[in-house]
Amino acid sequence: MAKKILIVEDEEILLDLLQKRLKKEGYDVLLARNGEEGLKMIKEERPDLVLLDIIMPKMSGFQVMEEMNKEESLKEIPVIIISNSGQPVEIGRAQQLGAKDWLIKTEFDPKEVLEKVVKQIGK
Amino acid sequence: MKEKQGEFKSEELRMGAKTLLGRELELARVREELEQKIKELEAAKEREMVLRIREIAKAADIKRKVEELEKKTKELKEARKALLNILEDVDEARRKAEEERNKTLAIIANLTDGLLVFDSDNRVSLINSRAEEILGIKFEEIEGESISDLSRFSSLKPIIQLVEEREKIFREEVKLHENLILEITTSPITREKERIGSLLVLHDITREKRIERMKTEFVSVAAHQLRTPLSAIKWSLGMILAEDMGPLTQEQKAFLQKTYNSNERMINLVNDLLDVARIEEGRYIYKPAFCDLAKICQMVINSHKAIIKRKKIKFEFKKPKGKLPQIKLDEEKISLAIQNLLENAIRYTPPGGKIVVSLKRKKGEIEFSVKDTGIGIPKEQQDRLFTKFFRGTNAVRMETEGTGLGLFIAKNIIESHRGRIWAESEENKGSVFHFSLPLGLTSSSRK
Repeated sequence: MAKKILIVEDEEILLDLLQKRLKKEGYDVLLARNGEEGLKMIKEERPDLVLLDIIMPKMSGFQVMEEMNKEESLKEIPVIIISNSGQPVEIGRAQQLGAKDWLIKTEFDPKEVLEKVVKQIGK
Repeated sequence: MKEKQGEFKSEELRMGAKTLLGRELELARVREELEQKIKELEAAKEREMVLRIREIAKAADIKRKVEELEKKTKELKEARKALLNILEDVDEARRKAEEERNKTLAIIANLTDGLLVFDSDNRVSLINSRAEEILGIKFEEIEGESISDLSRFSSLKPIIQLVEEREKIFREEVKLHENLILEITTSPITREKERIGSLLVLHDITREKRIERMKTEFVSVAAHQLRTPLSAIKWSLGMILAEDMGPLTQEQKAFLQKTYNSNERMINLVNDLLDVARIEEGRYIYKPAFCDLAKICQMVINSHKAIIKRKKIKFEFKKPKGKLPQIKLDEEKISLAIQNLLENAIRYTPPGGKIVVSLKRKKGEIEFSVKDTGIGIPKEQQDRLFTKFFRGTNAVRMETEGTGLGLFIAKNIIESHRGRIWAESEENKGSVFHFSLPLGLTSSSRK
Protein backbone atom coordinates (compact mmCIF):
# COMPACT_ATOMS: atom_id res chain seq x y z
CA MET A 1 0.00 0.00 0.00
CA ALA A 2 1.32 3.44 -0.88
CA LYS A 3 2.45 5.69 1.94
CA LYS A 4 0.19 8.68 2.66
CA ILE A 5 1.73 12.13 2.90
CA LEU A 6 -0.26 15.15 4.01
CA ILE A 7 1.03 18.54 2.85
CA VAL A 8 -0.20 21.52 4.91
CA GLU A 9 0.84 24.69 3.08
CA ASP A 10 -0.90 27.94 2.15
CA GLU A 11 1.38 28.85 -0.81
CA GLU A 12 -0.13 27.40 -3.99
CA ILE A 13 3.10 27.13 -6.00
CA LEU A 14 4.82 25.12 -3.33
CA LEU A 15 1.80 22.95 -2.77
CA ASP A 16 1.61 22.27 -6.50
CA LEU A 17 5.26 21.36 -6.91
CA LEU A 18 5.43 19.14 -3.86
CA GLN A 19 2.27 17.34 -4.84
CA LYS A 20 3.55 16.64 -8.39
CA ARG A 21 6.93 15.41 -7.23
CA LEU A 22 5.69 13.21 -4.44
CA LYS A 23 2.96 11.68 -6.58
CA LYS A 24 5.61 10.87 -9.18
CA GLU A 25 7.57 8.98 -6.58
CA GLY A 26 4.53 6.89 -5.83
CA TYR A 27 3.20 8.42 -2.64
CA ASP A 28 -0.42 9.20 -1.91
CA VAL A 29 -0.67 12.93 -1.41
CA LEU A 30 -3.30 14.81 0.57
CA LEU A 31 -3.54 18.60 0.66
CA ALA A 32 -4.58 21.18 3.26
CA ARG A 33 -4.27 24.91 2.81
CA ASN A 34 -4.31 26.09 6.45
CA GLY A 35 -3.63 24.81 9.94
CA GLU A 36 -7.26 24.19 10.85
CA GLU A 37 -7.91 22.17 7.73
CA GLY A 38 -4.59 20.38 8.24
CA LEU A 39 -5.40 19.31 11.79
CA LYS A 40 -8.80 18.03 10.73
CA MET A 41 -7.26 15.92 7.98
CA ILE A 42 -4.55 14.58 10.31
CA LYS A 43 -7.23 13.34 12.67
CA GLU A 44 -9.40 11.89 9.93
CA GLU A 45 -6.84 10.46 7.51
CA ARG A 46 -3.95 9.51 9.83
CA PRO A 47 -1.22 10.14 7.26
CA ASP A 48 2.17 8.41 7.51
CA LEU A 49 3.96 11.78 7.29
CA VAL A 50 3.05 15.44 7.49
CA LEU A 51 4.86 18.23 5.67
CA LEU A 52 3.87 21.23 7.79
CA ASP A 53 4.26 24.90 6.95
CA ILE A 54 4.74 27.14 10.00
CA ILE A 55 3.33 30.53 9.05
CA MET A 56 -0.29 29.95 7.98
CA PRO A 57 -3.63 31.66 8.47
CA LYS A 58 -6.23 30.35 10.96
CA MET A 59 -3.78 28.11 12.85
CA SER A 60 0.01 28.11 12.72
CA GLY A 61 2.19 25.05 12.27
CA PHE A 62 3.25 25.30 15.92
CA GLN A 63 -0.34 25.28 17.08
CA VAL A 64 -1.02 22.22 14.91
CA MET A 65 1.90 20.40 16.55
CA GLU A 66 0.71 21.39 20.01
CA GLU A 67 -2.70 19.91 19.24
CA MET A 68 -1.07 16.77 17.86
CA ASN A 69 0.95 16.31 21.02
CA LYS A 70 -2.22 16.15 23.04
CA GLU A 71 -3.19 12.72 21.61
CA GLU A 72 -0.93 9.68 21.78
CA SER A 73 -1.85 8.38 18.36
CA LEU A 74 -1.30 11.73 16.69
CA LYS A 75 1.95 12.28 18.54
CA GLU A 76 3.48 9.34 16.70
CA ILE A 77 2.96 10.77 13.21
CA PRO A 78 6.32 12.17 11.98
CA VAL A 79 6.33 15.85 11.02
CA ILE A 80 8.73 17.70 8.71
CA ILE A 81 8.24 21.43 9.12
CA ILE A 82 8.61 23.97 6.34
CA SER A 83 10.28 27.13 7.66
CA ASN A 84 10.52 30.34 5.67
CA SER A 85 14.10 31.36 6.45
CA GLY A 86 15.26 28.73 8.88
CA GLN A 87 15.65 31.02 11.88
CA PRO A 88 17.22 29.13 14.79
CA VAL A 89 14.41 30.22 17.10
CA GLU A 90 11.84 28.72 14.78
CA ILE A 91 13.76 25.48 14.21
CA GLY A 92 14.44 25.15 17.91
CA ARG A 93 10.81 25.52 18.85
CA ALA A 94 9.76 23.01 16.17
CA GLN A 95 12.22 20.44 17.49
CA GLN A 96 10.92 21.06 21.01
CA LEU A 97 7.44 20.31 19.74
CA GLY A 98 8.65 17.04 18.26
CA ALA A 99 9.35 17.79 14.57
CA LYS A 100 11.63 15.17 13.03
CA ASP A 101 13.22 17.32 10.34
CA TRP A 102 12.87 20.63 8.53
CA LEU A 103 12.89 22.26 5.09
CA ILE A 104 13.91 25.85 4.42
CA LYS A 105 11.99 27.74 1.70
CA THR A 106 14.74 30.23 0.85
CA GLU A 107 16.94 27.23 -0.07
CA PHE A 108 14.21 25.03 -1.43
CA ASP A 109 15.45 21.95 -3.31
CA PRO A 110 13.10 19.19 -4.46
CA LYS A 111 15.89 16.62 -4.20
CA GLU A 112 16.36 17.48 -0.52
CA VAL A 113 12.64 17.11 0.06
CA LEU A 114 12.69 13.58 -1.32
CA GLU A 115 15.75 12.62 0.72
CA LYS A 116 14.17 13.77 3.96
CA VAL A 117 10.81 12.13 3.17
CA VAL A 118 12.49 8.80 2.40
CA LYS A 119 14.50 9.12 5.60
CA GLN A 120 11.31 9.31 7.62
CA ILE A 121 9.02 6.80 5.92
CA GLY A 122 10.95 5.04 3.17
CA LYS A 123 9.78 4.86 -0.45
CA MET B 1 -1.09 -9.14 -68.70
CA LYS B 2 -2.89 -10.18 -65.57
CA GLU B 3 0.28 -11.54 -64.15
CA LYS B 4 2.07 -8.30 -64.82
CA GLN B 5 -0.74 -6.41 -63.10
CA GLY B 6 -0.53 -8.80 -60.21
CA GLU B 7 3.23 -8.39 -59.95
CA PHE B 8 2.80 -4.64 -60.08
CA LYS B 9 0.25 -4.62 -57.29
CA SER B 10 2.29 -6.69 -54.91
CA GLU B 11 5.24 -4.49 -55.62
CA GLU B 12 3.09 -1.49 -54.82
CA LEU B 13 1.86 -3.16 -51.69
CA ARG B 14 5.37 -4.00 -50.70
CA MET B 15 6.46 -0.41 -51.33
CA GLY B 16 3.43 0.89 -49.46
CA ALA B 17 4.12 -1.36 -46.48
CA LYS B 18 7.73 -0.27 -46.37
CA THR B 19 6.68 3.36 -46.44
CA LEU B 20 4.09 2.78 -43.73
CA LEU B 21 6.65 1.06 -41.57
CA GLY B 22 9.08 3.83 -42.19
CA ARG B 23 6.48 6.37 -41.32
CA GLU B 24 5.55 4.46 -38.18
CA LEU B 25 9.14 4.38 -37.10
CA GLU B 26 9.38 8.09 -37.79
CA LEU B 27 6.24 8.76 -35.79
CA ALA B 28 7.61 6.75 -32.91
CA ARG B 29 10.83 8.66 -33.14
CA VAL B 30 9.01 11.97 -33.25
CA ARG B 31 6.85 10.87 -30.34
CA GLU B 32 9.98 9.99 -28.38
CA GLU B 33 11.47 13.35 -29.26
CA LEU B 34 8.29 15.11 -28.19
CA GLU B 35 8.11 13.17 -24.94
CA GLN B 36 11.71 14.03 -24.34
CA LYS B 37 10.98 17.71 -25.01
CA ILE B 38 7.97 17.59 -22.67
CA LYS B 39 10.15 16.10 -19.96
CA GLU B 40 12.69 18.81 -20.49
CA LEU B 41 10.00 21.49 -20.42
CA GLU B 42 8.52 20.08 -17.25
CA ALA B 43 11.96 19.94 -15.63
CA ALA B 44 12.53 23.54 -16.69
CA LYS B 45 9.12 24.49 -15.36
CA GLU B 46 9.93 22.80 -12.07
CA ARG B 47 13.23 24.60 -11.88
CA GLU B 48 11.43 27.86 -12.47
CA MET B 49 8.93 27.02 -9.77
CA VAL B 50 11.70 26.18 -7.36
CA LEU B 51 13.33 29.52 -8.09
CA ARG B 52 10.02 31.31 -7.60
CA ILE B 53 9.46 29.52 -4.31
CA ARG B 54 12.89 30.60 -3.08
CA GLU B 55 12.36 34.13 -4.24
CA ILE B 56 9.03 34.42 -2.50
CA ALA B 57 10.54 32.99 0.67
CA LYS B 58 13.43 35.45 0.49
CA ALA B 59 11.08 38.35 -0.05
CA ALA B 60 9.02 37.26 2.95
CA ASP B 61 12.21 37.05 5.01
CA ILE B 62 13.27 40.54 4.00
CA LYS B 63 9.81 41.84 4.81
CA ARG B 64 10.02 40.26 8.25
CA LYS B 65 13.47 41.81 8.88
CA VAL B 66 12.26 45.22 7.76
CA GLU B 67 9.31 44.95 10.09
CA GLU B 68 11.60 44.09 12.96
CA LEU B 69 13.85 47.04 12.17
CA GLU B 70 10.90 49.38 12.05
CA LYS B 71 9.72 48.11 15.40
CA LYS B 72 13.15 48.60 16.91
CA THR B 73 13.43 52.06 15.44
CA LYS B 74 10.09 52.98 16.93
CA GLU B 75 11.20 51.69 20.33
CA LEU B 76 14.43 53.67 20.11
CA LYS B 77 12.54 56.81 19.22
CA GLU B 78 10.28 56.38 22.22
CA ALA B 79 13.21 55.68 24.49
CA ARG B 80 14.89 58.80 23.22
CA LYS B 81 11.75 60.81 23.87
CA ALA B 82 11.51 59.44 27.39
CA LEU B 83 15.17 60.23 28.03
CA LEU B 84 14.70 63.77 26.82
CA ASN B 85 11.79 64.16 29.20
CA ILE B 86 13.86 62.85 32.06
CA LEU B 87 16.69 65.20 31.14
CA GLU B 88 14.25 68.07 31.16
CA ASP B 89 12.96 67.03 34.57
CA VAL B 90 16.49 66.68 35.88
CA ASP B 91 17.38 70.07 34.54
CA GLU B 92 14.31 71.56 36.18
CA ALA B 93 15.14 69.87 39.48
CA ARG B 94 18.68 71.11 39.28
CA ARG B 95 17.57 74.66 38.71
CA LYS B 96 15.17 74.46 41.63
CA ALA B 97 17.88 73.01 43.86
CA GLU B 98 20.22 75.82 42.87
CA GLU B 99 17.55 78.36 43.63
CA GLU B 100 16.96 76.83 47.04
CA ARG B 101 20.65 76.73 47.68
CA ASN B 102 21.10 80.36 46.77
CA LYS B 103 18.20 81.29 49.00
CA THR B 104 19.65 79.34 51.89
CA LEU B 105 23.10 80.85 51.38
CA ALA B 106 21.61 84.31 51.37
CA ILE B 107 19.78 83.61 54.62
CA ILE B 108 22.89 82.19 56.24
CA ALA B 109 25.03 85.07 55.09
CA ASN B 110 22.67 87.61 56.59
CA LEU B 111 21.87 85.90 59.88
CA THR B 112 22.60 88.00 62.90
CA ASP B 113 23.77 84.89 64.74
CA GLY B 114 27.00 83.14 63.88
CA LEU B 115 26.75 79.83 62.06
CA LEU B 116 29.31 77.06 61.89
CA VAL B 117 28.71 73.88 59.98
CA PHE B 118 30.77 70.72 60.31
CA ASP B 119 30.48 67.76 57.94
CA SER B 120 30.25 64.10 58.87
CA ASP B 121 34.01 63.92 59.42
CA ASN B 122 33.83 66.91 61.76
CA ARG B 123 35.55 69.16 59.26
CA VAL B 124 34.57 72.80 58.87
CA SER B 125 32.35 73.09 55.83
CA LEU B 126 30.71 76.46 56.32
CA ILE B 127 30.99 79.60 58.43
CA ASN B 128 28.97 82.77 57.96
CA SER B 129 30.24 86.31 58.22
CA ARG B 130 28.76 86.91 61.67
CA ALA B 131 30.62 83.86 62.98
CA GLU B 132 33.80 85.11 61.33
CA GLU B 133 33.24 88.40 63.16
CA ILE B 134 32.59 86.77 66.51
CA LEU B 135 35.52 84.40 66.33
CA GLY B 136 37.88 86.72 64.55
CA ILE B 137 38.67 84.06 61.96
CA LYS B 138 38.10 83.93 58.20
CA PHE B 139 36.57 80.90 56.47
CA GLU B 140 39.61 80.43 54.25
CA GLU B 141 41.77 79.93 57.32
CA ILE B 142 39.78 77.02 58.66
CA GLU B 143 37.95 75.59 55.67
CA GLY B 144 38.04 71.81 55.59
CA GLU B 145 40.04 71.52 58.77
CA SER B 146 39.09 68.95 61.32
CA ILE B 147 38.20 69.90 64.86
CA SER B 148 41.51 68.89 66.35
CA ASP B 149 43.30 71.20 63.94
CA LEU B 150 41.17 74.10 65.11
CA SER B 151 42.56 74.01 68.64
CA ARG B 152 45.42 76.20 67.48
CA PHE B 153 42.98 79.10 67.58
CA SER B 154 42.51 80.08 71.20
CA SER B 155 39.13 81.64 70.52
CA LEU B 156 37.83 78.31 69.27
CA LYS B 157 38.99 76.14 72.15
CA PRO B 158 35.81 76.33 74.23
CA ILE B 159 33.72 75.67 71.15
CA ILE B 160 35.63 72.58 70.07
CA GLN B 161 34.57 70.47 72.97
CA LEU B 162 30.94 71.13 72.16
CA VAL B 163 31.24 69.60 68.72
CA GLU B 164 31.19 65.92 69.43
CA GLU B 165 29.02 63.01 68.49
CA ARG B 166 25.93 64.50 70.01
CA GLU B 167 22.65 62.85 69.24
CA LYS B 168 20.57 65.62 70.76
CA ILE B 169 20.49 69.36 70.59
CA PHE B 170 22.77 70.92 73.15
CA ARG B 171 23.02 74.45 74.44
CA GLU B 172 25.70 76.01 76.59
CA GLU B 173 26.93 79.42 77.64
CA VAL B 174 30.53 80.01 76.81
CA LYS B 175 32.60 82.99 77.79
CA LEU B 176 35.10 83.60 75.02
CA HIS B 177 36.60 86.61 76.72
CA GLU B 178 35.65 89.50 79.02
CA ASN B 179 33.40 91.22 76.53
CA LEU B 180 32.02 88.26 74.67
CA ILE B 181 29.65 85.74 76.15
CA LEU B 182 28.01 83.37 73.69
CA GLU B 183 25.10 81.06 73.94
CA ILE B 184 26.17 78.19 71.71
CA THR B 185 23.64 75.69 70.44
CA THR B 186 24.83 72.51 68.76
CA SER B 187 22.52 70.29 66.83
CA PRO B 188 23.19 67.32 64.58
CA ILE B 189 22.30 67.55 60.91
CA THR B 190 20.63 64.38 59.73
CA ARG B 191 19.44 63.03 56.44
CA GLU B 192 17.22 59.99 56.65
CA LYS B 193 18.28 59.17 60.18
CA GLU B 194 21.97 59.33 59.38
CA ARG B 195 24.15 62.05 60.90
CA ILE B 196 25.84 64.01 58.14
CA GLY B 197 27.20 66.86 60.17
CA SER B 198 26.77 69.30 63.02
CA LEU B 199 25.42 72.82 63.17
CA LEU B 200 26.65 75.38 65.66
CA VAL B 201 24.72 78.56 66.31
CA LEU B 202 26.61 81.33 68.10
CA HIS B 203 24.26 83.72 69.82
CA ASP B 204 25.75 86.80 71.43
CA ILE B 205 24.30 87.24 74.93
CA THR B 206 26.95 89.57 76.26
CA ARG B 207 24.45 92.40 76.61
CA GLU B 208 21.85 90.22 78.28
CA LYS B 209 24.41 89.02 80.73
CA ARG B 210 25.53 92.53 81.42
CA ILE B 211 21.99 93.63 82.11
CA GLU B 212 21.46 90.66 84.39
CA ARG B 213 24.58 91.58 86.26
CA MET B 214 23.48 95.18 86.60
CA LYS B 215 20.14 94.05 87.93
CA THR B 216 21.76 91.87 90.54
CA GLU B 217 24.17 94.60 91.50
CA PHE B 218 21.29 97.00 91.90
CA VAL B 219 19.42 94.61 94.16
CA SER B 220 22.57 94.09 96.16
CA VAL B 221 23.23 97.78 96.57
CA ALA B 222 19.59 98.60 97.36
CA ALA B 223 19.35 95.82 99.90
CA HIS B 224 22.54 96.94 101.55
CA GLN B 225 21.29 100.49 101.74
CA LEU B 226 18.04 99.32 103.23
CA ARG B 227 19.75 97.29 105.91
CA THR B 228 21.05 100.23 107.86
CA PRO B 229 17.77 102.05 108.40
CA LEU B 230 15.99 98.76 109.05
CA SER B 231 18.49 97.87 111.73
CA ALA B 232 18.04 101.29 113.27
CA ILE B 233 14.26 100.83 113.38
CA LYS B 234 14.67 97.38 114.91
CA TRP B 235 16.95 98.74 117.57
CA SER B 236 14.77 101.64 118.49
CA LEU B 237 11.57 99.60 118.56
CA GLY B 238 13.32 96.98 120.65
CA MET B 239 14.29 99.58 123.18
CA ILE B 240 10.81 101.03 123.40
CA LEU B 241 9.25 97.57 123.71
CA ALA B 242 11.66 96.70 126.50
CA GLU B 243 10.24 99.79 128.20
CA ASP B 244 13.65 101.40 128.25
CA MET B 245 11.98 104.64 127.18
CA GLY B 246 9.32 104.45 129.76
CA PRO B 247 6.39 102.20 130.58
CA LEU B 248 3.89 101.20 127.96
CA THR B 249 0.23 100.41 128.14
CA GLN B 250 -0.89 96.96 127.01
CA GLU B 251 -2.45 98.54 124.01
CA GLN B 252 0.70 100.44 123.12
CA LYS B 253 2.80 97.34 123.61
CA ALA B 254 0.63 95.24 121.36
CA PHE B 255 0.61 98.00 118.74
CA LEU B 256 4.38 98.40 118.78
CA GLN B 257 4.89 94.64 118.73
CA LYS B 258 3.07 94.50 115.41
CA THR B 259 5.35 97.22 114.05
CA TYR B 260 8.38 95.35 115.33
CA ASN B 261 7.21 92.14 113.63
CA SER B 262 6.64 93.98 110.37
CA ASN B 263 10.13 95.37 110.56
CA GLU B 264 11.52 91.90 111.21
CA ARG B 265 9.82 90.66 108.10
CA MET B 266 11.33 93.48 106.08
CA ILE B 267 14.76 92.63 107.45
CA ASN B 268 14.26 89.00 106.44
CA LEU B 269 13.21 90.02 102.97
CA VAL B 270 16.25 92.24 102.61
CA ASN B 271 18.50 89.43 103.79
CA ASP B 272 16.89 87.03 101.37
CA LEU B 273 17.35 89.51 98.52
CA LEU B 274 20.97 89.91 99.44
CA ASP B 275 21.43 86.14 99.53
CA VAL B 276 19.85 85.80 96.13
CA ALA B 277 22.03 88.57 94.75
CA ARG B 278 25.11 86.92 96.17
CA ILE B 279 24.12 83.55 94.75
CA GLU B 280 23.66 85.03 91.32
CA GLU B 281 26.91 86.91 91.39
CA GLY B 282 28.67 83.81 92.57
CA ARG B 283 29.58 85.52 95.78
CA TYR B 284 27.63 83.12 97.97
CA ILE B 285 30.59 81.70 99.81
CA TYR B 286 30.48 78.29 101.33
CA LYS B 287 32.63 77.28 104.26
CA PRO B 288 32.55 73.51 104.33
CA ALA B 289 33.47 71.53 107.41
CA PHE B 290 32.59 68.09 108.70
CA CYS B 291 29.26 68.21 110.49
CA ASP B 292 26.59 65.95 111.87
CA LEU B 293 23.42 66.58 109.90
CA ALA B 294 21.25 65.22 112.70
CA LYS B 295 22.62 67.81 115.09
CA ILE B 296 21.94 70.65 112.65
CA CYS B 297 18.37 69.43 112.16
CA GLN B 298 17.78 69.24 115.88
CA MET B 299 19.03 72.80 116.38
CA VAL B 300 16.70 74.20 113.73
CA ILE B 301 13.79 72.22 115.15
CA ASN B 302 14.49 73.44 118.63
CA SER B 303 14.36 77.07 117.58
CA HIS B 304 10.90 76.50 116.12
CA LYS B 305 9.43 74.44 118.98
CA ALA B 306 7.56 77.42 120.39
CA ILE B 307 5.68 78.36 117.27
CA ILE B 308 4.82 74.73 116.49
CA LYS B 309 3.28 74.46 119.96
CA ARG B 310 1.46 77.75 119.53
CA LYS B 311 -0.09 76.64 116.25
CA LYS B 312 -1.13 73.37 117.91
CA ILE B 313 0.63 71.29 115.24
CA LYS B 314 1.66 67.74 116.03
CA PHE B 315 5.37 67.25 115.39
CA GLU B 316 7.67 64.27 115.03
CA PHE B 317 11.38 63.98 114.29
CA LYS B 318 12.32 60.60 112.88
CA LYS B 319 15.98 60.09 113.45
CA PRO B 320 17.88 57.12 112.12
CA LYS B 321 19.09 54.51 114.53
CA GLY B 322 22.76 54.92 115.20
CA LYS B 323 25.03 57.74 114.22
CA LEU B 324 25.08 59.23 110.74
CA PRO B 325 28.46 59.66 109.06
CA GLN B 326 29.66 63.24 109.07
CA ILE B 327 29.50 65.12 105.80
CA LYS B 328 31.54 68.08 104.65
CA LEU B 329 29.06 70.96 104.49
CA ASP B 330 28.56 74.61 105.24
CA GLU B 331 26.67 74.45 108.55
CA GLU B 332 25.23 77.94 108.36
CA LYS B 333 23.85 77.52 104.84
CA ILE B 334 22.45 74.02 105.36
CA SER B 335 20.80 75.27 108.52
CA LEU B 336 19.20 78.02 106.48
CA ALA B 337 17.94 75.53 103.89
CA ILE B 338 16.42 73.30 106.55
CA GLN B 339 14.96 76.34 108.22
CA ASN B 340 13.30 77.52 104.99
CA LEU B 341 11.72 74.11 104.44
CA LEU B 342 10.54 73.76 108.02
CA GLU B 343 9.17 77.29 108.16
CA ASN B 344 7.19 76.69 104.97
CA ALA B 345 5.71 73.57 106.51
CA ILE B 346 4.74 75.42 109.65
CA ARG B 347 3.40 78.45 107.79
CA TYR B 348 1.21 76.56 105.37
CA THR B 349 -0.15 73.88 107.72
CA PRO B 350 -3.37 74.89 109.45
CA PRO B 351 -3.70 74.40 113.21
CA GLY B 352 -4.22 70.79 114.23
CA GLY B 353 -2.13 69.50 111.39
CA LYS B 354 0.96 67.30 111.52
CA ILE B 355 4.58 67.77 110.51
CA VAL B 356 7.13 64.97 110.34
CA VAL B 357 10.81 65.60 109.82
CA SER B 358 12.88 62.53 108.94
CA LEU B 359 16.51 61.79 108.27
CA LYS B 360 17.36 58.59 106.44
CA ARG B 361 20.62 56.92 105.59
CA LYS B 362 20.49 55.82 101.97
CA LYS B 363 23.01 54.28 99.57
CA GLY B 364 25.75 56.85 99.13
CA GLU B 365 23.64 59.68 100.53
CA ILE B 366 21.61 61.05 103.41
CA GLU B 367 18.03 62.04 102.76
CA PHE B 368 16.16 64.73 104.69
CA SER B 369 12.43 65.22 104.38
CA VAL B 370 9.70 67.41 105.84
CA LYS B 371 6.18 66.09 105.53
CA ASP B 372 3.18 68.27 106.32
CA THR B 373 -0.61 68.13 106.15
CA GLY B 374 -0.84 71.62 104.79
CA ILE B 375 -2.42 73.36 101.82
CA GLY B 376 -0.16 71.70 99.27
CA ILE B 377 0.80 73.10 95.87
CA PRO B 378 -1.54 73.10 92.85
CA LYS B 379 -0.42 70.53 90.31
CA GLU B 380 -0.06 72.93 87.40
CA GLN B 381 2.30 75.16 89.43
CA GLN B 382 4.55 72.42 90.76
CA ASP B 383 7.19 72.76 88.10
CA ARG B 384 7.87 76.38 89.15
CA LEU B 385 8.29 75.56 92.82
CA PHE B 386 11.96 76.34 93.14
CA THR B 387 12.05 79.42 90.94
CA LYS B 388 12.75 82.94 92.12
CA PHE B 389 9.76 84.76 93.71
CA PHE B 390 7.37 81.88 93.08
CA ARG B 391 4.49 81.58 95.49
CA GLY B 392 1.58 79.20 94.97
CA THR B 393 -1.76 80.92 94.40
CA ASN B 394 -3.18 79.10 97.39
CA ALA B 395 -0.21 80.16 99.52
CA VAL B 396 -0.72 83.80 98.59
CA ARG B 397 -4.37 83.50 99.52
CA MET B 398 -3.50 82.05 102.89
CA GLU B 399 -0.80 84.51 103.75
CA THR B 400 -0.08 87.58 101.72
CA GLU B 401 3.44 87.92 103.04
CA GLY B 402 6.23 85.68 101.95
CA THR B 403 9.07 86.47 99.60
CA GLY B 404 8.94 83.47 97.29
CA LEU B 405 12.72 83.27 97.67
CA GLY B 406 13.05 80.63 100.38
CA LEU B 407 12.90 77.61 98.08
CA PHE B 408 15.10 79.27 95.46
CA ILE B 409 17.80 79.85 98.06
CA ALA B 410 17.41 76.37 99.55
CA LYS B 411 17.76 74.81 96.09
CA ASN B 412 20.93 76.73 95.43
CA ILE B 413 22.42 75.72 98.73
CA ILE B 414 21.59 72.04 98.31
CA GLU B 415 22.79 71.91 94.71
CA SER B 416 26.03 73.66 95.63
CA HIS B 417 26.63 70.72 97.95
CA ARG B 418 26.06 68.42 94.93
CA GLY B 419 22.75 67.32 96.39
CA ARG B 420 19.25 67.08 95.01
CA ILE B 421 16.08 68.78 96.18
CA TRP B 422 12.55 67.84 95.18
CA ALA B 423 8.97 67.83 96.38
CA GLU B 424 5.74 65.88 96.15
CA SER B 425 2.49 67.59 96.89
CA GLU B 426 -1.28 67.34 96.61
CA GLU B 427 -3.45 70.40 97.01
CA ASN B 428 -5.30 70.48 100.36
CA LYS B 429 -3.72 67.20 101.42
CA GLY B 430 -0.14 68.17 102.12
CA SER B 431 3.41 68.19 100.81
CA VAL B 432 6.67 66.41 101.30
CA PHE B 433 9.89 68.28 100.60
CA HIS B 434 13.06 66.20 100.26
CA PHE B 435 16.71 66.90 99.79
CA SER B 436 19.61 64.50 99.65
CA LEU B 437 23.28 65.13 100.23
CA PRO B 438 25.91 62.76 98.86
CA LEU B 439 28.22 61.14 101.32
CA GLY B 440 31.14 61.80 99.01
CA LEU B 441 33.98 62.85 101.25
CA THR B 442 33.04 61.58 104.65
CA SER B 443 35.48 61.69 107.48
CA SER B 444 35.79 57.91 107.37
CA SER B 445 36.70 57.79 103.69
CA ARG B 446 39.21 60.54 104.04
CA LYS B 447 41.87 58.03 104.87
